[in-house]
Amino acid sequence: MSSFNDIEPPKLSPQSGTMHPINQVKDFLIDLLQGYGFTAVDGPEIESEEFNFDMLNIKKTHPARQMHDTFYVNNKTKVLRTHTSPVQIRSMLDSKPPLAITSSGKVFRKDDDATHLPMFHQVEGIYIDEQVTFSQLKDLIHKIIYAIFGQEIQIRFRPSYFPFTEPSAEVDILSENCKWLEVLGCGIVNPVVLENCNIDSNIYSGLAFGLGVERIAMLKYGVNDIRDFYKSNLDFLNQFK
Amino acid sequence: MKVAYKHLISFIPSKPSIDEISDRFFQLGHEHEIEDKIFNMELTPNRGDCLSVYGLVRDLAPFYKIDLTSNIYEKELKKLDLGFVNHAPEACSHISFLKIEIEGEIASYSGKLKEYFKDLSINKNNFFTDISNYISYEMGQPTHCYDAEKLQDKKFSLVTRKLDQKFLTLLDKEVNLSGEHLVFVNSNNNVINLAGVMGGKDTSCSSNTKSVIIECAYFKPEYILGTSIKYDIKSDASHKFERGVDPLCHDRVLRRFIQIVQDHVSIKNLEIFEHNSSEHNQISLPLDVNRINKLLGISITEEFYKKSLIGLGFIINNNVIEIPSYRGDISTENDLAEEVARVIGYNNIPSSPIKILKNSKKSDENIVVKKLKSFLIEHGFCEVINNPFVAYKENDSISIDNPLDSSKRYLRTKLKDSLIENLLYNERRQNDSIKLFEISDVYYSSKINKKKMLGIICSGRVGKNYLNFSKKIDSDFLISIVKKLNINMDFNTQIINRGELDTKIKNEIIYLELQIERNSLLSSDLKYTVKEVNDYKFIKYKPISEFPSSTRDLSFSVRNKNKYDELQNLLLNFQHELIKETFIFDFFINPKNNDIKIGFRFIFQSKTSTIIDEDINEVMNKIIKSALLIDFVDLPGINSLK
Repeated sequence: MSSFNDIEPPKLSPQSGTMHPINQVKDFLIDLLQGYGFTAVDGPEIESEEFNFDMLNIKKTHPARQMHDTFYVNNKTKVLRTHTSPVQIRSMLDSKPPLAITSSGKVFRKDDDATHLPMFHQVEGIYIDEQVTFSQLKDLIHKIIYAIFGQEIQIRFRPSYFPFTEPSAEVDILSENCKWLEVLGCGIVNPVVLENCNIDSNIYSGLAFGLGVERIAMLKYGVNDIRDFYKSNLDFLNQFK
Repeated sequence: MKVAYKHLISFIPSKPSIDEISDRFFQLGHEHEIEDKIFNMELTPNRGDCLSVYGLVRDLAPFYKIDLTSNIYEKELKKLDLGFVNHAPEACSHISFLKIEIEGEIASYSGKLKEYFKDLSINKNNFFTDISNYISYEMGQPTHCYDAEKLQDKKFSLVTRKLDQKFLTLLDKEVNLSGEHLVFVNSNNNVINLAGVMGGKDTSCSSNTKSVIIECAYFKPEYILGTSIKYDIKSDASHKFERGVDPLCHDRVLRRFIQIVQDHVSIKNLEIFEHNSSEHNQISLPLDVNRINKLLGISITEEFYKKSLIGLGFIINNNVIEIPSYRGDISTENDLAEEVARVIGYNNIPSSPIKILKNSKKSDENIVVKKLKSFLIEHGFCEVINNPFVAYKENDSISIDNPLDSSKRYLRTKLKDSLIENLLYNERRQNDSIKLFEISDVYYSSKINKKKMLGIICSGRVGKNYLNFSKKIDSDFLISIVKKLNINMDFNTQIINRGELDTKIKNEIIYLELQIERNSLLSSDLKYTVKEVNDYKFIKYKPISEFPSSTRDLSFSVRNKNKYDELQNLLLNFQHELIKETFIFDFFINPKNNDIKIGFRFIFQSKTSTIIDEDINEVMNKIIKSALLIDFVDLPGINSLK
């Protein structure tokens, strides 16, 4: 019988916790965009209508401005931001082109069902310079999507409508079961938005894009129910170590 | 909006296949699904002009020769003497009323009217309303039919008015009108039509109607927007008016209406009333292909540019592009660039390399947050994210003017309650070692001030291993961790009183909330590893079970140290679909007896049902048998199995 004095106790498996999977995806996207030259900027989640809508060419007649789509606070003097674009407006007002900004964080829409949550996360980017073109936007979007989903993924651009970009596009990827899935919205910054930010649209043009972090997270991790991210279930969270 | 493939190609002589049309629609930005050769279109809100067969065919014109000629009534129309007054010209610049009197029996529906109801399986209503619905489908312009006999003295007006009265729609829905609305009122000031949304029951047509007044109007979207949602009225008309209709289509629409009536019944009399309070504002833009090429990064010829726009119905004269009246979405050259890009196809526009001057820097605040997260995760804490809506009001809470429901009326001013909820949620799922944190901004009503807060909550076992299994989380545990942060501020942990919580578990709940200030943590020696993009790993998620779990413990005696590793390897790697987790909860060496005591905990959980003892026992027996096959390994009390 050998000696018991030199026995190594059982190895302690690491008892580490985990970062929330939505923040993991968000950080990944921010790091990716910083690698392309974008500077990460933060902004408030409570915004004025001016910054959330007016400056972005979202007119009073746009459905998003109705009480059923936007949360209004403090006697309708402010809104919970419906996107992170107001952060970009503030940046454009504060600095001169060329500029490349990425904003990210929580956004709010008055929606709550199996596929929509009243709070979700966005990562958006804007790049303003002389002679920014739609074909350059396509190049950047290809880079982003290939970095997220791999070089083999098939990409489709579709015309769409966002008041702050013109032309506007939605971008789909072809899923494993051969269905097109929308992953991103983008476009050429509407000259009205540039002028609102005191940027001469005869000299400068820009591109902008936005991703829904939950959407990307669901696709990357294979999570089918968006609500799972916010149950704070440790069995769920611990999978994302 | 549903559109039959058959109806679309009736205006396209080359009869392209349904798949080809589908591809073209996607190219043009018109999302849709197809079922039984019916397109279910999901059009963007700026393309109200496409909410009809004509509109969609018009958009396909750059790709196919189209023929939108339909039979219309072409004879001159007598003027209608109508006591109508437009008191809201700012809301309605163009409005017409057509009076049709019919005689004799109405024939069975024929031609396109018949096909519309048959192909789209739509229920019929009455003759005039049916034609009105068809015209809206074919041409995109909503019309409203009043039974002329029911309009008192033919006197009525259009007004924008603050209302507080009941209104019965033609579909028998009673609504309480409140606030300011654009409405038609009769000479008694009673609302007879919620303009652009739905008419009233009192003046609606029926199968007996022989004399009808058809209203054809252009209402500005802002005067219609939100009304149908406010009163929960489903209305094709408001959907179209909200997205913009063609202000100049009235004559053609009403003449088409007459023609369809005439195709089915004898017309006794026809009269028209037209009121235009202002000229249509014709938008024109310069023809500048270089500008378009510069925006898109392509090099198309002026000839191609002109051909594309003309195909879409634009008129070009002397290097000036006149925007068609139905294209309310076009006002800048960027809009024109999108039109050309749609014709080319976004996917056919080549990419050109982009180079952004690298100027990225990471903010101090983000570095603090990343350091904090990294530290807490290393110490076993999981990050959670909660939404900020709460039911209760604090002194400084911001209230939501239009909350989703009464339990979400305020924005939280602290993270504690969300984290307590998270903790209880996990306790209810039999988790006995819970360590959570959240970092979030919270907002206060005083000048809408915000703070970035860190909340930490923990309870239960310190850890799931033999060193920490028997230790319970207490204030000292959390304080000892937080002290390592070297924060330049005082902090106090709280013990949450379980008496106020819906739980029978007795473990102490320890809570700590700190404001994260930009400089407060930078002085510490905390480090975090800067991740490269390639460092991120994305696992494939395995759905978790919502069924209860069950635990079993086994305490072995091992009398040979060489066999102890073998036992560990066997049991920690024992795979079974019902085993959720295995860990060593006890370890003790008794050198006097040359004996190692080692305890394993197995947590069982089924993904499909509540687990039963028989299923657990079956797996446990396999585990025990395998373990006892190892020499010098005993399970006190169950040695008989060996």
